[in-house]
Amino acid sequence: MITDEIKETMIRDLAKQGKREDGRGLTDYREIRVHKNYLPNAEGSAMVEIGNTKVAAGVKFDVVKPYSDRPDEGTLTVNAELCCLAHQEFKPGPPSVDSIELARVVDRGIRSAECVNVKEFLLEPEKALGLYIDLYVLDHCGNLIDAAALAALAALKGARVPRYEDGKLIRDEGTQLKLAHEVTTCSFEKIAGNLVLDAVNAEEVASMGRLTWAVCEGDFACAAQKSGRASFSKDELLNMLDVAFEKGAFLRSKV
Amino acid sequence: MKKIVVPGEQVSDRPVQCDGCFVDAGKTFATTMSLATDERVIPLKGRYVPVLGDFVVGIVKESIVIGYLLDLNSPYLAKLGDRDCREEYRHGDVVSVKLASVNEVHDAMAMEPRKLEGGTLVAIEPVKVPRVIGRNGSMLALVQDHTGAQVSVGKNGRVYVKGGNVALAVQAINKICAEAHTSGLTERMTDFLKREAARSEQVN
Amino acid sequence: MAKKSDIQLVKSDGTRLDGRSPTDLRPLKITAGVLKQANGSALVEWGRNKVLAAVYGPRECFPKMLTNPYRAAINARYLMAPFSGNEEHSRSGPNRRSQEISKVIQHVFENLVLTEQFPKTMIDICIEVLQSDGGTRIAAVTAASVALADAGIPMRDLACGVGVGKASGQLLADLDKGEDNFGESDIPTVISPRTGELLLYQMDGMLTREEISRGFDLATEACMKVHAKQVEALKKKYDTVLEEAGSNGE
Repeated sequence: MITDEIKETMIRDLAKQGKREDGRGLTDYREIRVHKNYLPNAEGSAMVEIGNTKVAAGVKFDVVKPYSDRPDEGTLTVNAELCCLAHQEFKPGPPSVDSIELARVVDRGIRSAECVNVKEFLLEPEKALGLYIDLYVLDHCGNLIDAAALAALAALKGARVPRYEDGKLIRDEGTQLKLAHEVTTCSFEKIAGNLVLDAVNAEEVASMGRLTWAVCEGDFACAAQKSGRASFSKDELLNMLDVAFEKGAFLRSKV
Repeated sequence: MKKIVVPGEQVSDRPVQCDGCFVDAGKTFATTMSLATDERVIPLKGRYVPVLGDFVVGIVKESIVIGYLLDLNSPYLAKLGDRDCREEYRHGDVVSVKLASVNEVHDAMAMEPRKLEGGTLVAIEPVKVPRVIGRNGSMLALVQDHTGAQVSVGKNGRVYVKGGNVALAVQAINKICAEAHTSGLTERMTDFLKREAARSEQVN
Repeated sequence: MAKKSDIQLVKSDGTRLDGRSPTDLRPLKITAGVLKQANGSALVEWGRNKVLAAVYGPRECFPKMLTNPYRAAINARYLMAPFSGNEEHSRSGPNRRSQEISKVIQHVFENLVLTEQFPKTMIDICIEVLQSDGGTRIAAVTAASVALADAGIPMRDLACGVGVGKASGQLLADLDKGEDNFGESDIPTVISPRTGELLLYQMDGMLTREEISRGFDLATEACMKVHAKQVEALKKKYDTVLEEAGSNGE
């Protein structure tokens, strides 16, 4: 990421004082807009904007062959695409480790909380429903993980499970997908020793490391991921978890 | 007559040579989003292309054999020779320079480097630079007088602001850019700066 | 190979399945400058199509071997999202169809963009089809034109297009997915509205010379309607600022 020393210095200096360039508090989100059912062709979809960051999520079902070690279950696959549209540094090619990490972190939260009951996806022997969630990053202005996780939640929440008849999926008709839990994430960047929620690009560059907590209602932690070279203390870990629980209710209300 | 034109839109039924236009079959058409007046066509958007003698604000991108490569927020980079530098620079350092030479493919050599530290860097559209500077530097002087800030405007759309009421200076610069193609801007900016400067004083 | 269908796509009075006349376009909405990071961008919502285009550049040419010392290189990339169709989930990334479409789109802008002004650089046009319903390559070119103008890249004209075709024996403008799948011919056409010349042209089916000629005229007429929407979208961005400044005249 191209940044300059003036900007990095300013962000670190502000962070030391508990301040941020746009005047937000250390644990404030930018404006969040959720567009539900943004892409009606898909069985479920949403577009989430956090500030200028934009991530779309699409949910699709297909008939698949169950995994051999789980023969009576359907499948859940989460994929993320850092589209070339979204940032000057996103280039075409095989998935970058950042896009893989993004997909796997969002996946881990959803899977740990068993939001989707894949056991109910068995259709007949050797055939089950495969649920695909595709996270499409359209505009990278910081904090892709939280935007992606929220988009995934909004897409799942409004998703329609197609009806299965004579070996085919009838997508126009179906039932509402049942979600056992609603998972949201909070990602914190460590800048000059302070923890900052919902970072913008410049703050991510000035940061030494990041920690993401995925939580669900009832104040359960479902997934965590530490990234970057900074270290975190136990107190910091638990503080961030508390913020994630508090913000969880706020984020769930947006969906 | 003042109107916004899009690429391919006719601006004159005579052949006119100017920036942001091309001539076809004796008529003149715009090539970019522009403001067309009776006299000329002013592009509203566009990238910066190095021009000999320009004062620009660069960011050190990498060290090379002869010195440094500077990012100018342009499709083209500038080279800065070691011999012209009094100190060593690192990746990310902000350096103002003058463009000593520019060849036909827009490769530029920079000189007179000065490292910029502290303060704030504002990114604006290069096409708005003349508006921010104003006729004979009048708009720039207006901003500096009412905010007490030192403002250096790089032709490549990077503006360095230091000292005084930096926040107000940045706000003013962004406002000038947002309303660059409207009339009566100088008056509005004078009123705006007077008002906001007085308000800041009250708060302080 | 002529496609035949038992489905009556066009009634004897000329009405199509969705109620349109043979020359009507589907509802078309274009928004310029929707993305913050890209140098220029546009969202085209055309019928059920949702196509997003972003432009980066001119910028340093990458890969270096494509650098041209006399002009900017243009790189267009058309991709469909895995959730864009109303049938199965597809694999993300390019496939043969999307690569061919990327190529013909690139040629449109190699004609229009004044590439000599930016030698040794590259202009990247990234197009993502978020939702598809017939005519996505046309929507893609329409969006890319607006995105390029939004980025301030000098061009001779905006490119606008329409998918003309034949279904149930009738020549139609702006085929939707059903008409494309079950009709007899599909002719994606992109023109330069200033000159009326062809910038993109593909065709399948079996048509007579007269049908080709009438199809071209039908396309040109429809393209002018698309062009009007593109111009409206671009000027809208600047009109709002003009208004605000007017009302703020203290």
